[in-house]
Amino acid sequence: MVSGGIYSGKFGELRKLFNALRLRGYRVIAPKLEDSVIRLKEVTSFDEVPYGWEDIQAPGKYSVREGGKHFRHGPDAPKRILYPPRLELFRLRPDWSVEYPKERFPPTALFAIKPCDLASISVMDRVQGGIGDPYYLALRKKLIIIVENCVEPGATCFCSTMGTGPEARDGFDIAYTRLDDDLVVFRPGSDLGVELLSELNIEPATDEVLRKYYDALKNASLKAKAPFELERLPDELELGLNSPVFKEVAERCFGCAGCNMVCPTCFCFDVIDEPELDGGAVRVRVWDGCFSYTYAEVAGGNFRKDLWARYRHWVLHKFAYWVRQFGVFGCVGCGRCITWCPAGIDLRETIKSVVEWVRSRGGS
Amino acid sequence: MMRRKLKVAVFKFASCSGCQLQILNMEDELLTLTDAVEFTYFLEASRATAPGPYDVTFIEGSISTPEQEELVRRVREESRILVAMGACATAGGIQALRNWLRLDDVKRAVYPNPEWVKALEHSKPVAEVVKVDYELRGCPVSKERLLSFIKQVLVGRKPYLRREALCMDCRRKGNVCVMVAKGIPCLGPVVQEGCGAICPTFGRGCYGCFGPSIDARPEALASRLREIGMKDRDVARLFKGFTGWSEKFRKVIDELEGGAR
Ligand code: SF4
Ligand code: SF4
Ligand code: SF4
Ligand code: SF4
Ligand code: SF4
Repeated sequence: MVSGGIYSGKFGELRKLFNALRLRGYRVIAPKLEDSVIRLKEVTSFDEVPYGWEDIQAPGKYSVREGGKHFRHGPDAPKRILYPPRLELFRLRPDWSVEYPKERFPPTALFAIKPCDLASISVMDRVQGGIGDPYYLALRKKLIIIVENCVEPGATCFCSTMGTGPEARDGFDIAYTRLDDDLVVFRPGSDLGVELLSELNIEPATDEVLRKYYDALKNASLKAKAPFELERLPDELELGLNSPVFKEVAERCFGCAGCNMVCPTCFCFDVIDEPELDGGAVRVRVWDGCFSYTYAEVAGGNFRKDLWARYRHWVLHKFAYWVRQFGVFGCVGCGRCITWCPAGIDLRETIKSVVEWVRSRGGS
Repeated sequence: MMRRKLKVAVFKFASCSGCQLQILNMEDELLTLTDAVEFTYFLEASRATAPGPYDVTFIEGSISTPEQEELVRRVREESRILVAMGACATAGGIQALRNWLRLDDVKRAVYPNPEWVKALEHSKPVAEVVKVDYELRGCPVSKERLLSFIKQVLVGRKPYLRREALCMDCRRKGNVCVMVAKGIPCLGPVVQEGCGAICPTFGRGCYGCFGPSIDARPEALASRLREIGMKDRDVARLFKGFTGWSEKFRKVIDELEGGAR
């Protein structure tokens, strides 16, 4: 009988878990290898999950190779599912009555997502959930989350610094960890998780397994680190408002907002009304981001007309303003904005340099 | 309530007619559209024409000859809203490649009797000759954007079309970035969205047919492309292809080519 606690079983139990979700009618969304990139997409067979593959990430570079033990997240974050890039909000009929879209979301299971992405969902719960975005909440309440802890963080990961990984703390239904090819550790995080695990052939982890488990996670947490600490970071960054670092880095930036798009927590959007020929209209919400010029444009001008000011705003929103707004950092340390920046700009280096600048002036 | 039909004109200058064709390609909407819109001058569709003034005039093509310069000025006077449509009208088009060469050399290379050809020194975007109210970019122009533009004019609002970097649309669409995942050079970070990221969707880089995005920083992209191993000459060529004569790209090209004309 499974209750709270830590269990272990063979790799095949993961397959059973996957199939159990499908049997219960969940749409399963999981990592999936497509055109040499690990995507986050609907998966109908356990064999599609890229166990046995690994990704190689660096600033502005991504590739995969077969034969690796552990994969990390690719470019797609849960945001893509929970907060779609383009969403029809409602339709205006020609007689100007309003038609809201019908329930569009099937019960969904996120399978084998990473701890940083799990953390991004709890950030979204505070932001989108906090303001009561009905489109987000409709999907969120039908979501079940199976998270895979990271034994091998990637080169752009810094979840350890952000306190979001490489081990998932809470907010999941089940967390599992692949210790070696045929040893998986399971932890339930909800009643539903307990129920699902009860159907598997697993047993309470022995002392030996536990030791292995804690060692692996400790090792991992030593890796996923950024060259800065969170303590006092918001204050230090705000003291660095006039640091030349922002201008220097922004010289290399294209302002393409790719980082805003791939970031699992960036929530900014544009609302567009599209008139129809019949006299009706559609209102759609599309992802926008603070790197784009029109984002901060108002009648008569732009609050952040220079790209460096927009770059600075993004860094400060993530690491300072967000904390004051929502009580958490806006960054979960997933490293997507680093890997997927076509200019190869490394956010970690920016922060490190700003902090150094502040300290060199005795500002902290 | 029956509103007066919108009088629309379509004029062709130095171009391939592909943009006009996009209007005729709106097969599903054309019939409904003609309930609200009257094409009063549109030679590709009908030889029956009516004189101006026009509510909306779409200009296809670049301004490449003295006659065209004169005609476009007259058209401007007859048009309430003037829209430059496509890469030729907004940036001089592919034919602007000749702007980097000597006109006489080009004429001689192409025509048996070069002395018969009266051309301007440069193939120019419409905005270099008359005031343009809106630009619809692309080679060819995007049918969806064109239609959206017309619909917005019809309801009487100021047309709103996003002008940000293609990357945003590319990523919204769920494409994998070809620069990052495949090391393929892509102009998307500095090119205006609107095409639906066609090229990256097919696994190749954007070659810039929509021209510079608002606040584009092609100089930063050029440095990055050199950093990942491209030669100056190849970077210049990439920028030149479709919208090289746009002010922003031209500057970068000239720097890469050492100011040589
Ligand atoms: S930091 Fe990178 S991804 Fe973000 S806007 Fe600049 S170039 Fe684009
Ligand atoms: S700011 Fe960058 S590292 Fe942080 S959550 Fe967003 S994409 Fe990930
Ligand atoms: S960092 Fe920019 S795009 Fe992201 S949530 Fe903040 S303001 Fe919006
Ligand atoms: S493929 Fe091109 S357009 Fe798409 S995100 Fe990458 S750089 Fe931008
Ligand atoms: S991706 Fe670039 S070149 Fe291709 S259609 Fe779009 S704007 Fe034109």
